[in-house]
Amino acid sequence: MEPLIAGLLALMDPQLLVLLFAATLAGVIIGSLPGLNATTGAALLLPFTITMEPIPAIAILTTIYCAATFAGAITAILINTPGTSASATTCLDGFPMAQRGEAGRALGMATVSSTIGGIISVFCLMLAAPLLARMAYNFAPPEYFALTVFGISMLATIGDGTPLKNIIAGCIGILLATVGKDLLTTVERFTFGFNELSEGIGFVPVMIGIFGISELLVQAERLSVERRQILLKAIKLPSRADYRKVWKTILRSSGIGTFIGILPAEGATVASMIGYNEARRWSKTPEEFGKGAIEGIAGSEAANNSATGGAMVPTLALGIPGSPTAAVILAGLMVHGLQPGPTMFTEQAEFAYAIFWSMLLVNITFIFVGLFGAKLFARVTFVPVQILWPIVFTFSIVGAYALDQSMLDVYIAIGSGVIGYFMRRFGYSVVPLAIGLILGGMLEKRLGQSLIMLDDQWWLMFTRPLTLLFFVLTVLALFGPYCWCLFRQRDPLQSTGE
Amino acid sequence: MTRYAVPCGTIVFCLLAYWLSTQFDRVPPILLRGMQPEDFPQMVLILIIALSVLVMIFDKPIEHGVVGANVWRSIGMFVVFSLVAQIDLFLGLGVFAGGLASLWGERRLWSIGLVAFISPALVFLLFDLVFRIRFPRGFLTNLWYG
Repeated sequence: MEPLIAGLLALMDPQLLVLLFAATLAGVIIGSLPGLNATTGAALLLPFTITMEPIPAIAILTTIYCAATFAGAITAILINTPGTSASATTCLDGFPMAQRGEAGRALGMATVSSTIGGIISVFCLMLAAPLLARMAYNFAPPEYFALTVFGISMLATIGDGTPLKNIIAGCIGILLATVGKDLLTTVERFTFGFNELSEGIGFVPVMIGIFGISELLVQAERLSVERRQILLKAIKLPSRADYRKVWKTILRSSGIGTFIGILPAEGATVASMIGYNEARRWSKTPEEFGKGAIEGIAGSEAANNSATGGAMVPTLALGIPGSPTAAVILAGLMVHGLQPGPTMFTEQAEFAYAIFWSMLLVNITFIFVGLFGAKLFARVTFVPVQILWPIVFTFSIVGAYALDQSMLDVYIAIGSGVIGYFMRRFGYSVVPLAIGLILGGMLEKRLGQSLIMLDDQWWLMFTRPLTLLFFVLTVLALFGPYCWCLFRQRDPLQSTGE
Repeated sequence: MTRYAVPCGTIVFCLLAYWLSTQFDRVPPILLRGMQPEDFPQMVLILIIALSVLVMIFDKPIEHGVVGANVWRSIGMFVVFSLVAQIDLFLGLGVFAGGLASLWGERRLWSIGLVAFISPALVFLLFDLVFRIRFPRGFLTNLWYG
């Protein structure tokens, strides 16, 4: 109870509250801008947080995460372009409603569903994360190694690529993590004589490159695409009858979203798809879905926002990111010298609870931002890309330089951006690469420690029940979808995103 | 063609990296605890090669189309930025931002001025005054640092 109150008190600094309100607005603007999403926003803002204390720094990143995930719905509803991939299903019913002149009703429902979903998931996070961390307290290096392997295996289903390509991208990330001094032997690897590389390739420049700069090149391809826009009519909020119609959908989708978020590497996008599908399945009027059903918006938005809290559970309790944005937040924790895992809830409990409270606060804040400011924020989508992206590039480059004040990081960011663009083009998602880069160091360290502990007899890992369980789960995560698709006579390589 | 070209390129890269990994210093067996420094990267490289072969066999080709001229121009601007940044980082950013805006079709002079002059200057002041970041000395930054 004491850390819970201490965490709340740590947030009660007026300066920090103003900062979090500003981060909420920034998150809403980032989420509203097509092409920028929570992950890119968190990656771009990560360098700004480096000079701050850990609590405000991580609270800002989680605020951006929650606010940007919500704000993706604004553009999805108003211009039929999801601000984030998690809001893709919101387009299906949101834009038809906006075309009928019910933009306010759709935006209001998206806001309320997101808020309720977000709040429920934060309470789940408060309960589940310490419990999970307590379970992990007895883990030895072999269990941690098997858990990290399981986390990496979940990369198969993340991002836009096929499972095979996703794992290749993840392995390239792990390979990049081997650059620099080997932790156990201090031998330099792949440094090519650059002293700056002996500490390894930094997360920040790579993340800025693969999420921010590669998106600039993607936007360069879409310069000729015209977006359909509707007139921003006066906002008429949802009625009491609307809320009566959707409350069950919101609660169901919040549960689904939180559960999906807890699964390592699964994020808001998958949650929103399942939340939307379940809303349609349980609806009395499924035929209205896709034509402007308010339940569709509630199902999708409650699920994608509740996934944010869920995704923070494995991130904080086990050090395994629950979503792409959680991977950036994990990088932020590491940059600040914080070690996610069981010790976070004993040695840094005040910090952990301050993060929980900040997430709760942002979920309450954006109900006001959503209901009163959506019309205003929707106008940021009118900023021409030829103005927006040069400015984003300026921030990206200075951000990449700022962490270690090294020009090499600037070139790494640009190189990662170009590689990231071509990876995306050829169907290799960049998200697994980022997660591989973060988990790679951990994976190697835990494998090395396990081998030392087991006296080089690696097969003894399979005699430990929990380690064996994680390996079995890994095999199921990797081959389960294939077996399921074979069972249903479908091509597994074409079934990503399901 | 990319069905084979991309996995083949990946395999060639991995083979090169594998060869590089054989050049790492080795720890004498008597001092060794756990793995040699090259063991882990080599395991990962072998895994990538095996998966790339699987991609060649099983992956369905997808339509990519050609890379647009705007993308190549933007990559060209990265090269220009990298060269000009040798003289001054913020000069490079200004040239890049102004150049990219006009390449992407911006014709209003005030907009180009905004992204080429005002935004790099504001970003510089923000990082220098608020975050106390010291930028590399150059043609323009020397005017500020003296």
